[in-house]
Amino acid sequence: MSVLAQVTNAVEAFNRFVEQQVSQARSDSQFGERLMARWQAARGGLGTVTIPTALKLPRLALPLTDEPGEVARYLYGEGLPGEFPFVNAAYREMYLVNPDAKNTEEPTRLFAGLALAEDTNHRFHYLTRHQKNIRLSTAFDGPTLYGLDSDADGVFGKIGEGGVALDTIEDMERLYAGFPLGGEHFSVSMTINGPAPIILAMYVAAAKRRFGPEVVSTLRGTIQADILKEVQAQNEIIFPIEASLRFLADMVEHTTTHLPRWYPISISGYHIAEAGATPVQQAAYTLSNGFTYVELFRDRGLEVKRFGPRLSFFLDCGLDIEYVALARVCRKLWAIGMRDVFGADPPAQLFKLHTQTSGRSLIAQESKNNLTRTAIELVLACLNATNSCHSNSADEPFTTPSEEYVRLAANSQAILLEESGLFKFMMNTLTGSPGVKIVERAVEEGILAEFREIDRLGGVLPAIDQRYQRSQIQAAAHRYEQQINDGTRPIIGLNRYCDETNAAPAVKVVRTPRQKKQLQVDRLEKFKRRNRARTERALDRLAAVVESGGNVFKELIHTVECCSLGQITARLHECVGRHRPMV
Amino acid sequence: MRAATQEDVRAIGLSSYNGGHVEFFTEVVDLLKRQGADDIGVFGGGGGTITKADAAIMQKKGVDRIFFAGTPLSEIVKFAKIAYNTHGRSGWRARGETISDPDRRIARMLTAAETGDRDEGACFRGAPAKGSAPITIGITGPGGAGKTTLIDELVLRFLKASPRTRLAILSHDPSLIGQGALLGDRASMVYSQDDRVFMRSLATRGQAGGLSPASGRCLRLLKRGGFDRVFVETVGIGQEAAPFGGEPVDRVILVMSPDYGSRLQLQKIVMLDVANIVVLNKSDLSGAKTAAAEIEQRLALNGRGQKLIQTVARRHRDPGVDELFRLAIS
Repeated sequence: MSVLAQVTNAVEAFNRFVEQQVSQARSDSQFGERLMARWQAARGGLGTVTIPTALKLPRLALPLTDEPGEVARYLYGEGLPGEFPFVNAAYREMYLVNPDAKNTEEPTRLFAGLALAEDTNHRFHYLTRHQKNIRLSTAFDGPTLYGLDSDADGVFGKIGEGGVALDTIEDMERLYAGFPLGGEHFSVSMTINGPAPIILAMYVAAAKRRFGPEVVSTLRGTIQADILKEVQAQNEIIFPIEASLRFLADMVEHTTTHLPRWYPISISGYHIAEAGATPVQQAAYTLSNGFTYVELFRDRGLEVKRFGPRLSFFLDCGLDIEYVALARVCRKLWAIGMRDVFGADPPAQLFKLHTQTSGRSLIAQESKNNLTRTAIELVLACLNATNSCHSNSADEPFTTPSEEYVRLAANSQAILLEESGLFKFMMNTLTGSPGVKIVERAVEEGILAEFREIDRLGGVLPAIDQRYQRSQIQAAAHRYEQQINDGTRPIIGLNRYCDETNAAPAVKVVRTPRQKKQLQVDRLEKFKRRNRARTERALDRLAAVVESGGNVFKELIHTVECCSLGQITARLHECVGRHRPMV
Repeated sequence: MRAATQEDVRAIGLSSYNGGHVEFFTEVVDLLKRQGADDIGVFGGGGGTITKADAAIMQKKGVDRIFFAGTPLSEIVKFAKIAYNTHGRSGWRARGETISDPDRRIARMLTAAETGDRDEGACFRGAPAKGSAPITIGITGPGGAGKTTLIDELVLRFLKASPRTRLAILSHDPSLIGQGALLGDRASMVYSQDDRVFMRSLATRGQAGGLSPASGRCLRLLKRGGFDRVFVETVGIGQEAAPFGGEPVDRVILVMSPDYGSRLQLQKIVMLDVANIVVLNKSDLSGAKTAAAEIEQRLALNGRGQKLIQTVARRHRDPGVDELFRLAIS
């Protein structure tokens, strides 16, 4: 029985357990009374808040019921925010305006990366100039995502496009210059997968250069490093799956000990959804990939207790109705699987979530409509109590976001969370609604059906071998396109209410000038020349660690001192081979 | 570029969505010019990221056409069919006669051999003089057995073992009479994307048995192309097929996976009588031990000393593939 079958069984057993509690609450008066006492205590303990219009509200909205069965269904089946199975939220208080409350970091984390390291650094400083907590999120350019140097054949045009160009530890130093890397209120996220261990090693080494070796244990942030969804959806995988998973496990092993505040993987559905998956498929493949990683790390001898709390998640939020409850269901299934299948304690049961609004839902035609789309998605993401959020810029169909649109995107979050009263005074404002519960149930059933199918194929890795996830995602993408073509999926400005004048958008386009691309290549060449005497020896040492089964990540922290990304990738290719694309 | 040259294409379609497209497209156009291959057209698109102003620059620099967001696929297909029709693009054939790059010359000759609009003698005019004949290796087996992966792994070993020589791959994809095919093998090869590898894909154009009507002629051409080894990969074949009858190859490798069905099904596979080497790939799957025992017995009955090798081609440095390489390729 694969892990997924065990999780499915555990969820079904949990649902039966909840129903038992419901009927016992109704039939067993003693049990009912104890439950109602707990309920009264919970209600009585809620603080109140007076909002600017002088209305008094509780800080947490609970169902207005005194029926013991319904109370049991709520307390056992959903849990108070911050309580198992965490349907309502991972933490008791989120987004609330309260100087005393814990966990009140702004959820805003905006993805940025353009041109060279110093340009992105400038954008980071611009984005965070008003933030108490500095939360950076880094996009890398195409060559970097594929582990290539900027001087590789045929990549010149792509240097610094769609993300920052990064070849060496020196670029890494420039990228985060001026930020307190080990600071209490600083964290950085990096969206990179195939070469993730090399990039994180550069980050660690660069931090050591700036702040000394003692900074390592204080580094805080997230690296995506989710290779399974790359094979299923996004294709930015460069080493064979087995080797990629081993490099990942090496990194997780090292960071859980030496970088205890680091999230060494962000298990991502975003790219699965952007490639065309339905919301249920997104959730099902993300969760099943997550459980597969847990199994893999556990089987390598790592303790769930130690690495479990260091796993994080990343979902897409689009305009389909499933998004009203998708993250709620994910939190529940993750908590049950982790507790009942892997014996995890509460910190390792939390599905800690970063959400990004859907890039795919944005279109080039009449692009200012994208502001509305993103705003709706943002509301859905916050209704789902996401822990952090990125809102897309409306000009993304054309260009790396310009400062003007990035500012609008950041402000949309501030307007929702700080200006509007929807989230800042009370937790759970809309979560008791019957519609949310109905969608929750339908989504959960859909996800469990996917789990059963993947289990029948032998689990996530055998299903990948049989191209299961890819085939399902592609079929869903095809249906989506057909629905746009035949009009059953209305997209305003594309297949409905189109602007006849069809004027070209007056959007400022952000591009990397040729001189900057050349500068990147020149810097790389200088780096290579300067380190020439040490490069080969460092690469040989790395290869020896790969061959002997040692911890590759630990060695990479030394290798990056004198080798470029492309040099390291090439040597690792020699050791473990290349990924062969699935066609 | 390499693929375009070797497959002798009429045009390259590019998709680029995250910027850098002006440099990217013009780099391709310039490379084609430098290689004297500017009869190959370039077109493409990139959703919303390519602006009208960019497109104008790109077209001035030699890109034939840029398609914008919202263009239906059918419109692009229509464009390609008209713009890159052989006769519509007069330069395409005429310049082919004076190509200096040897790979392009051989690619163009293969096209003539494939389309069959010249007799064989004419096809060979201008072909390299007969040098030392390469070792030719035919690789066949049912679809999904792992032929392409296995060849790619053998290529990796060959390139490492002989640092100066070149090799050719003649690969086949199934198609109906008169129609082309999606040339899928090339897309899943990683080590074969190398200047020392000449790879050409043929559509079977309705011929049963694993090869194309032009395979014999193409193989004869490749034998004179100065390559050290020539691989011929068939499409996935059925039990009755015996593909290398027309133009014989030096060594025949049959690649199977453990899921061939019952023992009786095994008896029916004709290639088991013909192959010099039988490879049981995916030998890490359950059922591989049974399959190995049954195939061994089947080969023993033939009494011709045919060898069975078990491989897991998808595994890097698989010792089974090493053994196959020593036995069949080196």
